[in-house]
Amino acid sequence: MLIFDQLKKDDPQLRLLAVTVFGGMALLLAGLWWVQVVSSHYYQEKLEVQSIRTVRMPAIRGQILDRDGRPIAENRPCYNIDLYLEDLSRSNQAVYAYLLTAEKKQLARRMATEETRLGRKLTTQEKKQSQFALTLPLKEQLQQVARWWVSSNAVADLSARLQVNIPLDEKEFEKRYDKARALPLPILANLDPSQVARFEEQSIHTPGLEMDVQSLRYYPNGPAAAHLLGFLSHDSKSSDNEESDYNYRLEDFVGKTGLEGLYDKELRGIGGGKSVVVNNLGYRQGETIVSPAEPGTNVVLTIDLDIQKAAETALQQAQANVHGAVVVMDAQNGDVLAMASAPTYDPNFFLQHHTAEEWDGLLNDTNTRALVNRAMQENYAPGSIFKIVVGLAALEQGVLDPRASFHSDGYIMVGRRRINDTAGEGEFDFSRALAKSSNPYFITQGLKPGVLARIVALGQRFHLGERTGLIPHQETKGNLPTLDEVRSSAWHDGDTANLSIGQGAIVVTPLQMAVMTAAVANGGTVFQPRLVSKTEPYGSEEPIQIFPAGQVRDTLGVSQRSLNIVREAMLADVESAEGTGHDAAIPGWHIAGKTGTAEVEKNGHKEKSADNTWFASFAPFEHPRYVVVITVEGGASGGKTCAPVAHKIYLAIQQREQERSRAPAPKLGTLAEAQP
Amino acid sequence: MTPQIHREREMRVDLLQVAALLLLMVLSVAFVYSATMTGDSVVIATWYHQRWFRQIVFFVLGIGAASAVCMVDYHVLSRWAFVAYWASILSLIGVLFVGSLIYGARRWVQFAGFQIQPSEFAKLAFILAMAHFLSRPVDELRQPRIFWQAIGFMALPFLLIMKEPDLGSALVLLPTGLAMLFVAGTPREYLVQLLTLGAVLAVLFLVDVLFAPQSLRIVKIQEYQMRRLLVYFGRDYASNKGGNISEAERANLREEEFNDSHNVRQAMIAVGSGGLTGEGWRHGQQNELGFLPVAGKHNDFIFAVIAEELGFVGSVTVLALYSVVLFTGIRIAGQARDRLGKLLAVGVVTLLFSHVFINIGMNIRLMPVTGVPLPLLSYGGSSVLGSLIAMGMLQNIHMYRKVY
Repeated sequence: MLIFDQLKKDDPQLRLLAVTVFGGMALLLAGLWWVQVVSSHYYQEKLEVQSIRTVRMPAIRGQILDRDGRPIAENRPCYNIDLYLEDLSRSNQAVYAYLLTAEKKQLARRMATEETRLGRKLTTQEKKQSQFALTLPLKEQLQQVARWWVSSNAVADLSARLQVNIPLDEKEFEKRYDKARALPLPILANLDPSQVARFEEQSIHTPGLEMDVQSLRYYPNGPAAAHLLGFLSHDSKSSDNEESDYNYRLEDFVGKTGLEGLYDKELRGIGGGKSVVVNNLGYRQGETIVSPAEPGTNVVLTIDLDIQKAAETALQQAQANVHGAVVVMDAQNGDVLAMASAPTYDPNFFLQHHTAEEWDGLLNDTNTRALVNRAMQENYAPGSIFKIVVGLAALEQGVLDPRASFHSDGYIMVGRRRINDTAGEGEFDFSRALAKSSNPYFITQGLKPGVLARIVALGQRFHLGERTGLIPHQETKGNLPTLDEVRSSAWHDGDTANLSIGQGAIVVTPLQMAVMTAAVANGGTVFQPRLVSKTEPYGSEEPIQIFPAGQVRDTLGVSQRSLNIVREAMLADVESAEGTGHDAAIPGWHIAGKTGTAEVEKNGHKEKSADNTWFASFAPFEHPRYVVVITVEGGASGGKTCAPVAHKIYLAIQQREQERSRAPAPKLGTLAEAQP
Repeated sequence: MTPQIHREREMRVDLLQVAALLLLMVLSVAFVYSATMTGDSVVIATWYHQRWFRQIVFFVLGIGAASAVCMVDYHVLSRWAFVAYWASILSLIGVLFVGSLIYGARRWVQFAGFQIQPSEFAKLAFILAMAHFLSRPVDELRQPRIFWQAIGFMALPFLLIMKEPDLGSALVLLPTGLAMLFVAGTPREYLVQLLTLGAVLAVLFLVDVLFAPQSLRIVKIQEYQMRRLLVYFGRDYASNKGGNISEAERANLREEEFNDSHNVRQAMIAVGSGGLTGEGWRHGQQNELGFLPVAGKHNDFIFAVIAEELGFVGSVTVLALYSVVLFTGIRIAGQARDRLGKLLAVGVVTLLFSHVFINIGMNIRLMPVTGVPLPLLSYGGSSVLGSLIAMGMLQNIHMYRKVY
């Protein structure tokens, strides 16, 4: 062979030369093998670090749908205009070249002036001084001027064409240029359709400006079910089960409260990643999707959007500046059909960028506290609607004959305390006492032996003083005195009297009252309320997870006779002309209900404006299906303020039922129809 | 080996070597194309102004020149050795006065629209003159006078090229001259003394440049040359600058250091990321995205482009092709009909080897960055012409070889 022949030469000098050359080539080969084969991975990583930027792309957020699949929270296309800096680099260079020439001329003039002043040529050293020389910082400054000039002109041009003011801050621009040159620079977000059309028409040949479409959360019904949905906040962090190491992250959102918060993991999906190849100047050269984003899961609720909207509208109309809540529940399985809280907010608000004052107005207004879901997150004294429990307890204890007549003086003395009564003086049986909400009647029952313990035991069966778990961490548990408390020496008859009319130690949420009313209506089953029926993959109806309906939490263990007596008394409350809840009545259905007005001590004395008024009801009486519970803070009375709200809601429910029977279960508002 | 045909003059060229050279030229055009046809340059120049095409023209001219050199017996050429030598010395002096200043060095003269690099031709003239001078009877080489004269022949172009400054081109003269002295039969003790002296000087030079405080520095070399050495030996600029400097200045120097080591770092990333099989012709990221130095990737750093785009397979191919050229060259030296032919061949082989070793070694940090072209692969008229003429001389020696 050629090489070995030379290595074995008998000419010693040439042999040494051959050995040296062979050694040198072998050394190069070994070196190359080391660099290219053994350490190849190390250099490939270095190459990627300098030429690849990874970007997290948010996934399409899952929809939140009502029970018929109508979107309550969906996504809409959001059109933005971005500036692609790499497309402008040639213009930048041209402007820079122009500026450079001008600068050189100026420097030459300055030198010439200096030379005539000194009357001699400048030395090489003097020419290197910063006022004469084209230093590196000067060049960088010129480049900066050039690119700002080019970019701001492009933006100004766009601004003129679209006839909108597009702010572009030079400092912000430079920051973006330094930090995220590989990404397009967002110039104008959320274009309206006419702007989109104008841009499309006129910008075909505009270098550097391009429109992109983003999927943005959208609540098509505005504030509808806002408190259930919760809200999102800007947050682009990675979810637990995805890649977390990115150079850049595109804007994404995280659910903070409500269902958006509770089901954030499912709704958010899995963010994708793309890698952007950049050149030595950091400009984007191309990009590849490394892992596509996986859209989030849809969450299907038990909410009926029509009833929800009706409930919200009715609640808003209860009085001026209303603070209160409505819960509509399916009496037969505990499904929440509507849950409204006032004052409300528009969850779309959280998707835009706002000033500090705007945030402050929504988040920190202690009078409004609009973000509080009053149906679950506020403790209210139940007032007279608690008489349902007191009545049941007395009946079950066997100390109350519902037909026995009871004379009321229109007030009652408990110890030395006089408790007034709006029901007035007169003769009361159980039905009339509940309908007129006679305080002396129920206080008398409550003070009968054994009834107090029954009330507490029954309250425990209703799971008062406990959270329902509907949306964890966003619910208060209320309060129900324990048996130990009512048997202790600190408990007086006055406390029992207060408890008997739903005041004092007892506080509840409207949701708990809905569960209670449903149990009375359905014959004694205390349901676990349900809000989410299932989750299903985006764009499909094959469920991933089903939450079964009608989970029984407890049974009351009371006789049907007692329940019937209470239910009939509730029916009388609405249906009889003198019943306090008569305003709720609608034609065609028999509604059973109970009004309440709880006096709340505020600042040490009773204050009318702090009273909260109630109406708890169910219908149709014969086959109870719907439970409607309303509370309004500072209302006139349960009958005057809340019963009319229930009236409107029942009308809407009735109408909805008629629609359903005409066209059985219409499948409205699928994604395809809802999106333009 | 096949028995040689008994003829007074075997007119056949060494086909194996010619084949290797042609393959190198094909690679060269392909990768000069790949290195220069990136980004905006694709659209700027017309095809006949582009470097890949100019490289083809240089090859054609070079092959013509090599053929012409082949036609004339090298004995006739060697008669003109000293004329060529002194002419090249004159051109080296001339370039210091009329040369164009490019990147802070005067290496090129403008001639008829071309830039000519006299040092490329001076190397050949040096080999020719040296071979002619050393081809005298071996006994004469024992005289110190002859030895020192030979050293003088070497030193003159060395110093002139250093002055340009072009450290790389100057340095390749040393192993070339040394190998020729050695093969010519210069007594071993002379060479040992020379090498010892050279090594001591080199160490002193490096210690002075790299470690001595600024005030005590004796050798004055160009700022950029010093920096290259600092980068190669991994010395940081700040400590080289010495003692009390401000923090801002230190940071400044650190950034400069980072920038200066940029080219080597990028070349190494290119070579390393090529891996076993490379990223594909015209798909090397380091090349395409402009991380390799734009000014050098088609000439001094062409190997990084090849290594990135063809991977280790490509590197081995390049090394194999050079090995074929080098070892056929050594074979030609062994078969040369006389000492002149042998010495000429040894000179050409050593010169080629020095270029290859320094250039490729620079890409993997085996050697400092010195700006030596990779013969026949790097873009450049002077380098291509010089290399092909040298190859022509080798073939010439082969054609007039001893025949058994």
